[in-house]
Amino acid sequence: MLEIKNLHAGVNGKEILKGINLSVKPGELHAIMGRNGSGKSTLANVITGRDNHEVTSGSVTYNGADLLDMTPEDRALRGIFMSFQYPVVIPGVNNTYFLRAALNSKLKHNGLKEINVADFMRLIREKLKLVNMDEKYLSRAVNDGFSGGEKKRNEILQMLTLEPELSILDETDSGLDIDALKIVAEGVNNFRNSSRSFVAITHYQRLLDHMKPDFIHALIDGKIVKSGGINLAHKLEEKGYSWLEA
Amino acid sequence: MTQFQEQFEALLNYWPDEDSTLRQLRIKAFNKFKDLGLPSKKWEDWQFTDFSSLEKTDYRLPWADSLPTLPSIIPGRIPNTHLILMFNGHYQPQLSDIPKGVTISTGFDHFKSNPDLYAINGDLNPFFALNTSMMNLGISIIIDANNIIEKPIQVIYVMTNLSDPLMNHPRFIFQVGKNAEATIVEHYSGSSDTSYFINPVTQVILETNAVLNHIRIQEESSTASHTASTHYTIGREGRLNSVSVSSGSKLFRHDVKLAFKSKGGYASLNGLSLTEKDQHHDQHVLLEHASDVCQSHQLFKYILSDKSSGVFNGKVIVREKTKQTDADQSNKNLLLSPTALMNSNPQLEIYAEDVKCTHGSTTGQIDPEALFYLRTRGIGIHKAMELIIGGFSKDIIDKINNEDVKSYINKKVTDWLEGAVQHG
Repeated sequence: MLEIKNLHAGVNGKEILKGINLSVKPGELHAIMGRNGSGKSTLANVITGRDNHEVTSGSVTYNGADLLDMTPEDRALRGIFMSFQYPVVIPGVNNTYFLRAALNSKLKHNGLKEINVADFMRLIREKLKLVNMDEKYLSRAVNDGFSGGEKKRNEILQMLTLEPELSILDETDSGLDIDALKIVAEGVNNFRNSSRSFVAITHYQRLLDHMKPDFIHALIDGKIVKSGGINLAHKLEEKGYSWLEA
Repeated sequence: MTQFQEQFEALLNYWPDEDSTLRQLRIKAFNKFKDLGLPSKKWEDWQFTDFSSLEKTDYRLPWADSLPTLPSIIPGRIPNTHLILMFNGHYQPQLSDIPKGVTISTGFDHFKSNPDLYAINGDLNPFFALNTSMMNLGISIIIDANNIIEKPIQVIYVMTNLSDPLMNHPRFIFQVGKNAEATIVEHYSGSSDTSYFINPVTQVILETNAVLNHIRIQEESSTASHTASTHYTIGREGRLNSVSVSSGSKLFRHDVKLAFKSKGGYASLNGLSLTEKDQHHDQHVLLEHASDVCQSHQLFKYILSDKSSGVFNGKVIVREKTKQTDADQSNKNLLLSPTALMNSNPQLEIYAEDVKCTHGSTTGQIDPEALFYLRTRGIGIHKAMELIIGGFSKDIIDKINNEDVKSYINKKVTDWLEGAVQHG
């Protein structure tokens, strides 16, 4: 599904990713762990197509197509989603209107009929329950006046509504208390199936305790230095990263 | 200046039997206009706007012969409103519909009973003097005391299909009587390849406990110059909600003055300006607090694309010994192109102690983070920009109290955004 080969990329001429190799197959959940500045968010940004990121060599393909040439919206329409580390406030843009516009954009791309307001409201009310969000968030502007935890739940709400094939979860656990963390993890777990894949980027093991990843990758200075199962996450939590540094 | 002199003399000759007091006022006003001249870049309050184009065109006043056939559909008509229509400078009473509780007077009857309101005294705005000297249409709309007019009154001033460059100096009086309530839409609309010049003066008076929603829509042709003065006077516990949406004219200047005449007044002044190509919009607000316990809230937003430019100059003055003033002023601007330009100058002059005043101004571009966020949800770049810009304008449009008027404006703004985003 997602194939990353020898990826070198950076920002403003500074190389941050120094040869990433990663293969994500349908149904898999990969966790990428690393310290601040190791390149975790850069990797998420390169996959989703943020403007100011320059790829100097290597390739990223998605279902065989070259991802790096695509606009962020094309990537999204092909099934890639990112839950933002810092979800953006968009003043004056109604959350429900935004979500429906996003869903309709996807339906249209897939040659399907756009969803009308009534059907969408039925759909979104069901999804709200899954992330334990109050209906009042529907009438607010996107992320406007949302607490940190509410913003993260709003990200998961979007994921559940848009039903992407590949979800990048960028520090989805940061800023969440234990209850919110459980809700978010449960939202993801219930959404998992044999065709949906996930890349969860995190500092800590605690999100992974609730999510059961298939693979853990330790990212140090722009390279995946070790990959393994959940035991690797426990070891990183216990020992830190220095034992992996040469 | 010569074409203004010629037109002024022509006007005096056209109406030789006019009321002598009015004639004296015209002469006094024209002399004042001649003394002042058109604003130059050396005038502090006018420095960012170039008015020289007004001198380069031979604008003439419309006489009775210049009325073309009325269109079958009145442009800009908003459903569920009362209509007062002016067409190429001429009032159309046969198409107008005046609700109960409203008194309309034309032909300067209003002037005869209220000459003081028309005095020019110390006003240093040459366009106000020019209007007073050549006012060629006077309409006063009086909402009688204790009347609540449910439907908005839409005052449409259309300029269309001109064969030569016309100028008009309409004078409007909107007076809301004691305990009365109304919504007035003052709507300028134009479609003309020939350039024209509109120079209206609107005087708005709210008497004790009166409520007025004043929606001003300016969608002149891109060939037009529109210089306007709006003067608000708010009586005891009067409440004004004003929303001005302007997208037309190559050159637009609007001078807004507001004074509280007694205590307990409330004013919310809001403006949205949309400019493209080489349009220039310049708005000045002078708001004076000289009575106790008055509140004023100002929010002006500009969205500028292409090579267009904008000016916002807002001044709030709180006079000595005025108590419990609550005033805020905010100007926010969004530049859609690197060649668009905005000059913003919010000012406070406070001579009293018992005040709560804030002001602020920001000018920026579309937030790239917001744009990226929407795009990662599969929303195309143009639609994403439309959403963000639409969101920026929303709080102004939300101040419009009437759903029909709001939906008209919403459609206009959405259409404008689509155009600006596609070619921007």
